[in-house]
Amino acid sequence: MARDRNSNGEYIRPVRRILVGLLVVFLLAFFLVWRIDSPRVERFRAAVVDRVVPSFDWALVPVTKFSEMVSNFQSYSRIYEQNQELRSELRQMKAWKEAALQLEQKNAKLLDLNNVRLDPKLTFVTGLVLADSGSPFRQSVILNIGERDGIVDGWATTDGLGLVGRISGVGNNTSRVILLTDSNSRIPVTIQPSGQQALLVGDNTARPPVEFLESPELIRPGDRVVSSGDGGVFPPGLLVGQVALGPEQRLRVRLSADYERLEFLRVLRSHSTERITDPGGLLVPETPEPAQNVAEAGDG
Amino acid sequence: MLPKLAMVDPVTSQRWAYWTLLCAIAAFLLFAKLVPLDLSAGKWPGPDWIIAISFAWVLRRRDYVPTLLLAVILLIFDLLLMRPPGLWAALALIGLEFLRSRSALSRDLPFLFEWALVSVVMAVMTLANRLILAIFVVGQPGLGKDLLLLSATILVYPLVVVISARVLGVRKVAPGEVDQLGHRL
Repeated sequence: MARDRNSNGEYIRPVRRILVGLLVVFLLAFFLVWRIDSPRVERFRAAVVDRVVPSFDWALVPVTKFSEMVSNFQSYSRIYEQNQELRSELRQMKAWKEAALQLEQKNAKLLDLNNVRLDPKLTFVTGLVLADSGSPFRQSVILNIGERDGIVDGWATTDGLGLVGRISGVGNNTSRVILLTDSNSRIPVTIQPSGQQALLVGDNTARPPVEFLESPELIRPGDRVVSSGDGGVFPPGLLVGQVALGPEQRLRVRLSADYERLEFLRVLRSHSTERITDPGGLLVPETPEPAQNVAEAGDG
Repeated sequence: MLPKLAMVDPVTSQRWAYWTLLCAIAAFLLFAKLVPLDLSAGKWPGPDWIIAISFAWVLRRRDYVPTLLLAVILLIFDLLLMRPPGLWAALALIGLEFLRSRSALSRDLPFLFEWALVSVVMAVMTLANRLILAIFVVGQPGLGKDLLLLSATILVYPLVVVISARVLGVRKVAPGEVDQLGHRL
């Protein structure tokens, strides 16, 4: 076009172009640094989250509560069916409660007999869910507890019933929990009652698949999945969910934690178990000194 | 107009008003994305509103979307939404500058042409994003989800244009229109 496209004059345009180019180069360099030195940039990201998200806090909590109220209000419309469902569930629950009570008494007796002490260090901190990842491709939440409360990367998080995820990224006042459904989540699990070890591999769907199974024919839908504690990442024995058969005949896990409404999460303080690093010394008889004595005695 | 800006000349204060509006929209979008309402996985990806808005605005009034401001906004989005930081922001800036240099050209063209142009730019951005992530061996979501996101953004673009023009007053400049100081727009 012959007409001057920019009314700003002739030399502003090249300068502007250079500046924009520099900006793009800076952003790409940022990406490159992230790719090369990910932990440092992720710490920076945690610091930014730590600054930004708590400033939304005053609005995030009321909005969440309000929308929950609306959805609860909507559920009034089918209150009769719900009542019936709840009644039948309650009957089942009573039977289970009786069984649980009996088992608890039995368990207490057995523990007493064996003189077992439960690990006093296994305590938890409870945090409020502030925000979610905001992206359909990432499954994570931000809690309002962080380094200040002694949170450490890698600790397990539950919603009181089932495992929810793992701490990944700790700021001063906030911390991020990678959910089991995230495509970066891999946790070692045991499937009961067959006792098989496997990996629960998040794949961005609500029911993550189980992989690396030794013999899948031993697994039945409905089997319990618990964390196995392999690799020292998680404490063993935390409930994860139940096995379900996916539509493509793939074993998936129906998670026990209620992912549709995560409000409060428990972060389990797990203290790293002692590692055995000594490769094992040779067991040799300790006899150099008596031997010397004998030799001296022989000389003299 | 804000009382503090009433002393400044009207052109500058109007610009500032639109920049503030852009920041406010970005803050609202970020907030809406971060509200932890339903955390179950496997949802449909929604449109990328901020890209649609900035592209629609830059094709109408190129002084309403300053490059540096959008770069800062997109970098914050990248950091908070757990995307690889910087990459999407850089690609969006390239797309924005490409459209900015053609904003005078597309002034006389029908809307369908503009829509096609924006769609192509967005598609190239998405492809470049996937390609670069693949080169740097970064794990990424399936192609299907990215395509859904792209088509959602393309589909909401006309809506964004209508709302920007009717409600927010971001319209194309008529030929020969001048601002209050007499400069050609």
